[in-house]
Amino acid sequence: MARGLAEIVAEHNLSELIIDSKELTLTVRRGGTAVAVQALPPAPVYAPAPALAPAAAGAPAAAPAVADKSHVVTSPFVGTFYRRPNPDSPNYVALQDKVDKGQVLCIIEAMKLMNEIEADVAGTVLAILVEDGSPVEYGQPLFKIAP
Amino acid sequence: MFKKVLIANRGEIALRVIRACREMGLQSVAVYSTADADALHVKFADQAVCIGPPPSRQSYLNVPMIISAAEVTGADAIHPGYGFLSENADFAEVCRKCGLTWIGPPPDAMRLMGDKIRARAAMTAAGVPTLPGSSGLHDEVQVLEAAERIGFPVILKATAGGGGRGMKIVWEKTKLIDAWSTGRTEAQAAFGNPEMYMERYCEKPRHIEIQVVADKHGHYMHLGERECSIQRRHQKVLEESPSAVLDQATRDKLTQASVRAIESIGYTNVGTMEYLLDSDGQFYFMEMNTRLQVEHPVTELVTGIDLVREQIRIAAGEPLSFTEARPARGHAIELRVNAEDPVTFAPWPGKITALHMPGGLGVRVDTHVYAGYVVPSNYDSLLAKVIIHDVDRMAALRRARRCVDEMVIEGIRTNIPFLRRIINNPDFIRGVFDTGFVARLLAERASAA
Repeated sequence: MARGLAEIVAEHNLSELIIDSKELTLTVRRGGTAVAVQALPPAPVYAPAPALAPAAAGAPAAAPAVADKSHVVTSPFVGTFYRRPNPDSPNYVALQDKVDKGQVLCIIEAMKLMNEIEADVAGTVLAILVEDGSPVEYGQPLFKIAP
Repeated sequence: MFKKVLIANRGEIALRVIRACREMGLQSVAVYSTADADALHVKFADQAVCIGPPPSRQSYLNVPMIISAAEVTGADAIHPGYGFLSENADFAEVCRKCGLTWIGPPPDAMRLMGDKIRARAAMTAAGVPTLPGSSGLHDEVQVLEAAERIGFPVILKATAGGGGRGMKIVWEKTKLIDAWSTGRTEAQAAFGNPEMYMERYCEKPRHIEIQVVADKHGHYMHLGERECSIQRRHQKVLEESPSAVLDQATRDKLTQASVRAIESIGYTNVGTMEYLLDSDGQFYFMEMNTRLQVEHPVTELVTGIDLVREQIRIAAGEPLSFTEARPARGHAIELRVNAEDPVTFAPWPGKITALHMPGGLGVRVDTHVYAGYVVPSNYDSLLAKVIIHDVDRMAALRRARRCVDEMVIEGIRTNIPFLRRIINNPDFIRGVFDTGFVARLLAERASAA
């Protein structure tokens, strides 16, 4: 094909011939150097997804993919996360604590009600994923426990 | 004016409200279930809070979660959209008690108009024609008396019935007692309660609704009518304004009655009065929707009023943005594009692999879908509203036809072929139709098959 195109270019005294189709883009330049050949994927038939506004605050609901085998305790409520029942008490749990199934790990306050969140497995507290006093949403990861 | 609005809804209406907030310089908070993590309203709001798993009862209808989301984000107003909690007076009360401005009517008015019996009584007191009817009928004397008063044709309905079941239409006095007696037997069998009541029967009614709006300063206005007779199993498919059959005298009676009605109950914010228009030109109040409606864009396009912006302003204590009635300019038609099989109407969730929505002059598209979006199975099937505006009804129909032909939604099934049938139907084009139109159209196809 390239030979045929080169002939067309010469015959009509073209300096450049560009072929742009669904399957490929071909540029033939006379006297110049490279013949650029590029195979393009077919043009999309639909409009691309709209440009997104700045990412919304608040983590998405899905728990993060955990490479390790630890169990993630997620929030069943929207509310405010507290590590202790009131400012004068000690925290419910600390890192590396051994906890039993059903043991209270934290409080999530929602609409003036204090909801105790219990561990759903027994094990060791590997990570505390939320800061004391911060808002949490449904499904947000709170603790990592190694069973 | 409040600073931050939490939108207690999803889909296209959540986007609609977020857009209005953005234009007014208000912060917006989206709430979403885990099924909507990739939804547009989540991406476009200034903040988003996940409030539960997919089922509506545990997320979009979950009052404590929604209030909690307002608390943790510091929202000071709630917009309920349509559906979900928008007509839940208890929710409106809870919002108010928690110091959140409710962007909607007073809870008492919601309760009043949400109770069919109390609503009818209130409308009758306000001089709004209601469908002549009776209460429960206990003996033959009452039955005959009721029919005398109401006038034939009448329809007998089971008090405990619903969904169109247990109804008997009676055209003449001689058939009345038999119909009542048989009806009672059937009602007992089907619903466990034999009681029947009677209403005037409208043979080929049209569904005409009036958009009303009122502020907190005693201004009560209307924004004209919408014709919503194109319905399938009581679900609207296509709406338009102005109505092709309404003469100005009837229009004036409808709008005046509607304004009288909202003034009599001290209504504020937006609402819609729904009427049945009988073939003899009589109209009867059916019910009032104390919220924004799905088809509100139809009114926006013929009047130029932004209804969501109006809602927000009214809730913030500002007066209506207009002082005089706005006669319709041109003609608007809304098509509801749903994720459903165009013949069986089975819902069709799934991934949209290709999308092109129509555009050009006089074409408005309100949608939350995009190429690559997965339509979840947990919520209603509405994908998009395509609202067409042009100088008159024929021009709007031509533009609507062009839009339907231009639309591409691949990867799922949609009702686009069904919409095409409607707008190309000769009776529809002539403006000759009633609420039975779609049922007859589908029966035609079924018998021709």
